Amino acid sequence: MIRVAWLVARKDLRIELRSKVLLWQVLPFGALALLLCGLALGPADAGHSRAAPGLFYLVTLFVALLMINRSQAVEQASGTAESVATLGMDPAGVFLGKTVALAIELWVAAGLLLAGTVVVLHTSLVGTVHALPSVFVTLGAMACAGTLYGALTAGDDGPATLLPILALPAFAPLLVAGERSFSAALHGGALWEWWVIDLVALAGYVAIGVLLYGVLEE
Amino acid sequence: MNKVTQRLLGPLTLLSLVGTVFLGLWVTPKATMHDGGGDLVRMLYVHPALAWVALYVSFGTTTIASALYLWKRTRSATMDRVAYCAMEVSVLFIALTLVTGSIWGRPTWGVWWAWDARLTSTAILLVLALGYLALRRANDDPETRARRSAVYGILVALNVPIIHFAVTWWKSLHQNATVLTVSGKVSVHGSMLWTLLLSFIAFTLWYFWLLRARYRLEVRSDDARQSHLAAAVAERQREGA
Amino acid sequence: MLRRSTESHSGGEVVVAEGDRVDMTPVVLAPRKRSSNFRTIAVLVVLAGAVGLLLSQGLFKNLNYFVTVDEALAQKHHYGTTTLRLEGVVQKGTITRTATGASFVIDGSKSQRVSVSVSGTPPQLFQANIPVVVVGHFISATSLHFTGNQILVKHSANYIASHPNRVKAKNGSVR
Repeated sequence: MIRVAWLVARKDLRIELRSKVLLWQVLPFGALALLLCGLALGPADAGHSRAAPGLFYLVTLFVALLMINRSQAVEQASGTAESVATLGMDPAGVFLGKTVALAIELWVAAGLLLAGTVVVLHTSLVGTVHALPSVFVTLGAMACAGTLYGALTAGDDGPATLLPILALPAFAPLLVAGERSFSAALHGGALWEWWVIDLVALAGYVAIGVLLYGVLEE
Repeated sequence: MNKVTQRLLGPLTLLSLVGTVFLGLWVTPKATMHDGGGDLVRMLYVHPALAWVALYVSFGTTTIASALYLWKRTRSATMDRVAYCAMEVSVLFIALTLVTGSIWGRPTWGVWWAWDARLTSTAILLVLALGYLALRRANDDPETRARRSAVYGILVALNVPIIHFAVTWWKSLHQNATVLTVSGKVSVHGSMLWTLLLSFIAFTLWYFWLLRARYRLEVRSDDARQSHLAAAVAERQREGA
Repeated sequence: MLRRSTESHSGGEVVVAEGDRVDMTPVVLAPRKRSSNFRTIAVLVVLAGAVGLLLSQGLFKNLNYFVTVDEALAQKHHYGTTTLRLEGVVQKGTITRTATGASFVIDGSKSQRVSVSVSGTPPQLFQANIPVVVVGHFISATSLHFTGNQILVKHSANYIASHPNRVKAKNGSVR
């Protein structure tokens, strides 16, 4: 399972490095969205850093939905599914590999967007760095849930518009927990408690994905 | 469902619903203003029963049917249809639960809606149920559709225990369970309690009546699709010959 | 497709050099690994552990809709004048309805009291000895006076008929 996961993760990351969809399409969109949020808040700095965690996760949500669709689109390329079935690859390994690749892509995006929040939304650099572990855990959990829900909606006749309505209720508690822990890192408060919700969700979705991904890929 | 049960289901449903309405509106007394809110108590004979059906009976049917579909020994088109039809009826009951709760909440709490744990998680459940219906429409291949719906049907059921325990785990505006209490004690008195129990029976029968009707419709709809497909294939073969 | 050729080939073809023998015996693939019972059990243990961790860590207090009077007074330094929802039981004899709203006193479980003034019409069930949730804030970091803009009545799960012990007439009827 681990070997298959490693192969699939490498494959996905290699495809991403070559196509650069994240770099040239998704990140510019995310940066623009963040900029618009800053503009919408107005010139006064007062509310910017208070609103920053929520706005950061809102933009990350858009980015995540695009990347999840992209991750599944890669699997729909001609012959891929047949190759996976013929080679007898462990579906749990495929799930873990795609989750790891998606998580790495989201972490890269988050790193750049966090730099954006420091510049555009005036969050403190120290607080933002302090928030990094909770952001990574939140996005890891989103990657797990996203891979699972992406598989549910994948296919030629499964429209990309279906993913948001299925995934959003699952993402909601992760986003709330992520936002609260980011806020706690910036302004003080119980950071650890919100972290644990994301850790629990991460463990839960990994477990469910390992169990059920094979059924979806049959 | 055997023929006798099928024949009796409709009349029993109607009888019990009429009985609930009659007892609830005309026979049962008002409650005290402190414990029941006067005439507001009459919503007690509607809202908890709707919630019971929405969360446990209807959603439970979907979850069990989905699990039985995923288990190879019991996998069948029937299980898939039952899960789908039960989820459609669930959407109706969840929506009614939210609406009746809102109608009761406005004069009692003072607001139509509050973002407390139970209300929020029930609203999320409605969105999840609508997502299930959207997922069903996204796939034409029956096996793929059934499999994905079954997986999703099990995933979304994880929300139901959260809704049930929301009032126990968190301090919430919504009161604690009226019937399915932790201690087993029910704090509803006299004829109000009997009417409440009758309402549970009435709405549960109504649910099964709706499910049966929807299931029959789905079977006929599937048969019509098959025969249209067969006719289209035969037509194409005639053209090719 | 097999083709005997010495030329370079395009994708999708297997090129065999002249003179080579082709092994045409069927390839038996390794059987596909199915999820083992061990993996399923491990997954279920992880799931159960995740739920247990959530339950054991008392994390749920973060999702509470309100704070009680006792909690608010114990954490007064933390709440300061931030907006919160304060829950308490309305004390009998303390309700004063004003032109703009109402003022009253709410009690916690340890006889700690907070005086409240609220703007806006209270709900119809608002009365003494009933739990209420007030949305507002303390007027200062040290004050025990709470000002709010909304009252929500927290109804219990008790339903008692009015006049439950009404005396019956000789013919058994009750009005």
